[in-house]
Formats: sequence, C-alpha cells, structure tokens
Amino acid sequence: MSLSNGTLNVRVARIEAVTPEIKRFTLVATDGAHLPPFSGGSNVVVLIPHENGTYRNAYSLMSSPYDSSAYQIAVRRVEEGRGGSLRMHEAVNEGDVLEILRPVNLFPLSKHARLHLFIAGGVGITPVCSQLAELRLRGTPFEVHLAVRGAEHARLGEELVREYGDAVRLYRNDLDQRLDISVVVAARPLGSHLYVCGPESMIQDAIDSAHAQGWTDSHIHYERFLEQGSVGEAFSVTLARSGATIEVSPDQSLLEAAEAAGHSIPYLCRGGACGECETRVLELDGEIVHTDDWLSDEDKAANTKIMPCVSRAKCSRLVIDC
Amino acid sequence: MLITGIKSRPVYDQLRPLPGGIRHLVAGQGSGGRAMLRLLDEMPEQGMQTTLLYSQESFSGLDFLAELQQRQVAELRVYPSNQELVADLERILGNARMGTRLYLSGSESFIGTAMQVATHYDMNSDEVLREHAGSFVRRIWCVHCDSYTENVTQRVFQCPGCNAMLVVRDHYSRRLAAFQAVKADAEVPGELPEAEELDT
Ligand code: FES
Repeated sequence: MSLSNGTLNVRVARIEAVTPEIKRFTLVATDGAHLPPFSGGSNVVVLIPHENGTYRNAYSLMSSPYDSSAYQIAVRRVEEGRGGSLRMHEAVNEGDVLEILRPVNLFPLSKHARLHLFIAGGVGITPVCSQLAELRLRGTPFEVHLAVRGAEHARLGEELVREYGDAVRLYRNDLDQRLDISVVVAARPLGSHLYVCGPESMIQDAIDSAHAQGWTDSHIHYERFLEQGSVGEAFSVTLARSGATIEVSPDQSLLEAAEAAGHSIPYLCRGGACGECETRVLELDGEIVHTDDWLSDEDKAANTKIMPCVSRAKCSRLVIDC
Repeated sequence: MLITGIKSRPVYDQLRPLPGGIRHLVAGQGSGGRAMLRLLDEMPEQGMQTTLLYSQESFSGLDFLAELQQRQVAELRVYPSNQELVADLERILGNARMGTRLYLSGSESFIGTAMQVATHYDMNSDEVLREHAGSFVRRIWCVHCDSYTENVTQRVFQCPGCNAMLVVRDHYSRRLAAFQAVKADAEVPGELPEAEELDT
C-alpha cells in the first residue's frame, strides 16, 4: 500500500449513483495491495484539493470490514456546502487517484450489547452498512429502521433488505410510512443499544424517546451527518507557540486555515464531536461562536477553550495555545 | 504484608435514586437492608415501580425484613441465602426491559456476584449503584482447585476444596468477584507466612 506522509493513495475503481444525491465510490490501493483494516462504523478523511487549499472531508466506510481489497464510501451532494462534496461529485472520475487518511472509528459498536437498534435517515445509513457486516459475523441480533424520502432514495436500504431480510425496515416518506422512534425503543430487553445517524431532528427525537423509556446515555450512540468544516465570517487567530497569525477565510475552518499555513493541530472527526482538537484560548477580545458537540455549556460560556475543526470567532484578537 | 487501600477493590457508591428509571430493583442482604430502607425513603413516588429482593443471610446477624415488610412497594421477595437471591436476580434481569435501575447493598461477596449477573446483561454504571454494608470479609478463589470460600478473615487459611494452606493476595478480580489465594508454602513445604488478620 502507498503511504506517503501518513496518507494513503487510492485509485477510484468505480463510481455509482445510488440515489439522485448520493454517489458511491469504490477505492482500491494504487499498487493493488490490501488496505488497512477497520472496524464497523469507521470513517476516512478524503483530501479534496481546490483552488486555494485542500478540504478534508470525513466519509463513513460502508463496505465490509472483512474485505480489505477495497473501501467504499458514499458521498452526498450538498449544494449549500462549501463545495467539497460537489467536487467529489463533479471533478472526480473513475481511475483518478485520491489521497485519504487511515480509517478511524468514532462510532463503534458496543461490545457487550445484547441487541443493536439502528435508526438512520437517508445517507445516515452508510456507517450502519459496515456495522452490520461486523454484526453478522458476531451473531448478535439487530434491527435497522431506515427512513428515506422516496423510491429513488431507497436503493441503499433495498440492498440491505436483500442482504439482511426482515432485520431491516424501510420507511418511505412518499408512502406516508412514518418511523415512530418511540415505538422502536419501547420495551426492549436489558442490554439494548441504540445507534442514530441522520439529521439533527432525528437524533434529538431518538434521544428524547429513549430517555422517556428510561434508557441511559451509555446505551445511546449517535453520529451527526453534516457537511464537514465550517463557514462564516472571516477572522484572524494567533497561534501562541509559533507566534504566527493566520487569516481564516469565510469558507475555511480554523483547523483548515492552520493546516494550509503549515501548522498541524491534532484531529480525528473534524466535526466537533470527538474532542481531539480541543485547544486552550489564551487571549480573546470578542466572542467565540461555539458550534461543537464536545464542550460543556459551562466551557462554552467561559470561552477558555475552542474546537478549531468547527468553531469560529467574532473578535478583534484571539490567541490559542497551539 | 498488610496493604491498605487495595487498588483492585471496587469503590462503592451510596445508594440514591437514579434518574430516569421506570422500574427499580432494590436487592440487598443482611445489614444491607439499612441502605435499602434509606433509599426507599428517598424515592417515595416510585414505590409501585419498585421490587425489593432481600436475603436474610448475614455475617453479622442483622435482619431488616420486618422493616422492609412495612414499605409500600410492588413486590418484596425474600430468600434464605444470597445465592438464591442472585439466581432469582438473573432470571428477573433476563426478562427485564431497558429503563430498569438496579441497586445493590450488602457484603462485597454479595455485591460482586450480583454484579457478575448485571454485567452479563450489559448494565452500566449509570444503571446500577452498589453500597457496601457490614465488614469487608473476603470471598476467596483458590487458584489451584477453582473453589470459592466465603467470609475469610485470615491471611493464611486452609482451602476447603483442596486442603492446601493458602495465602490470600490483595488482588480483587471483578470477573471472579473474589480475591485470589495461592499455595502458601509452595517454595518450602511446611514454611508458612505469618498468620495475620486481613484488612477486611
Ligand atoms: S477534530 Fe473532533 S472535535 Fe475537532
């Protein structure tokens, strides 16, 4: 396999449109070797070059973790985003070589669960695909409840129904089939785990429904599906250790701006969820616009920490400890 | 040889109502009944969602059954031994639903064996609380014959399973819910370490 400065070079072996908005990319190592193994729920960061830099977008791996000959990712086209997914849809062709990072898993299966319940909406089904492949080998029971808009959006779900039968239930919005999460989580055996991947409203509904049935947080897992990175007003930031001052443009995150200027900040999810990029704020004249899911409300109010992968600032001066 | 503050020994909680539960199982043994009563006082609204499990087996001879019988709860189940309580708990958890909270109170041996069952059903620390009651007499697992001995208070003792003289190590295994003991005179037969009262 080709590993240059921590990234893997992969060739796009195949691109398929699976719904009007989602394309599935099959990636193989450029030298035909095996790719690094991963576990169900993992994602990879794809480096997407553009005019003045590189987007680093994380996409869920949806192929089987037991197949190391290829990775598959699904990319939803986000019109209102910064253009990372649009470039993947329009500028990348079969045969092209892409740079990706090694898989990381921020949405792993619970090892001791007695029943796994998956709730997904639209493209949120992608991390579930690799989890199911893993569960089939383990033999733990599971159910998938997948909501889609209409027939042409149901293809990934239909593939899963063919593969796993009754364990997968599709709810088509156009047929008025409503996914009632409070029914899905009701009266489940002890040791059940809930995994939710979809729009914000679906995640909130799932958390609220599970809490109402007495579920505790240790049994509830979710992954937000957002266009990565952050957009907003431009601001500048000083990195205390090097003394460098960096301009963050409206379509860049602080993390991306730092990387573009040759600085590295540790990260995993690039979506404000994992906590890896947490950085101390040393000086601030203005306010921080916190958009992460990591910091507590107290931390956010105190403005002493920032998550550079998603959060921005409205300020005349910001110095951070990196 | 005396070591206080054994790191592997679980740090116990104090029983208090766990938020969000829709069914409560409160299980205790012997002097653990006191903590059960205190917990019930703190959750007066939940009586009808609460099942009590009480074992009268006791090292100290304390029995709280009469007081527990006064409480308004969905059910009170009484057992002559801890083992029978834990076997019934296993059956109850097998049929239980998400939303169940479990409270344990009693000896280390009782809590440890009940936790083995709770862990098997994947109950986590936000669903289970454990309060220790009574003395820290130890439950011992003999590494040679795989037998368990309850209520050990001496550093050196004879294993009822294989008759070997054992020395009790200060390592608690949560998986076995017991302290390990190994042959005391393996190096020089007949030469035993000093007998001492355990840090119980
Ligand atoms: S990289 Fe995960 S929170 Fe920033």
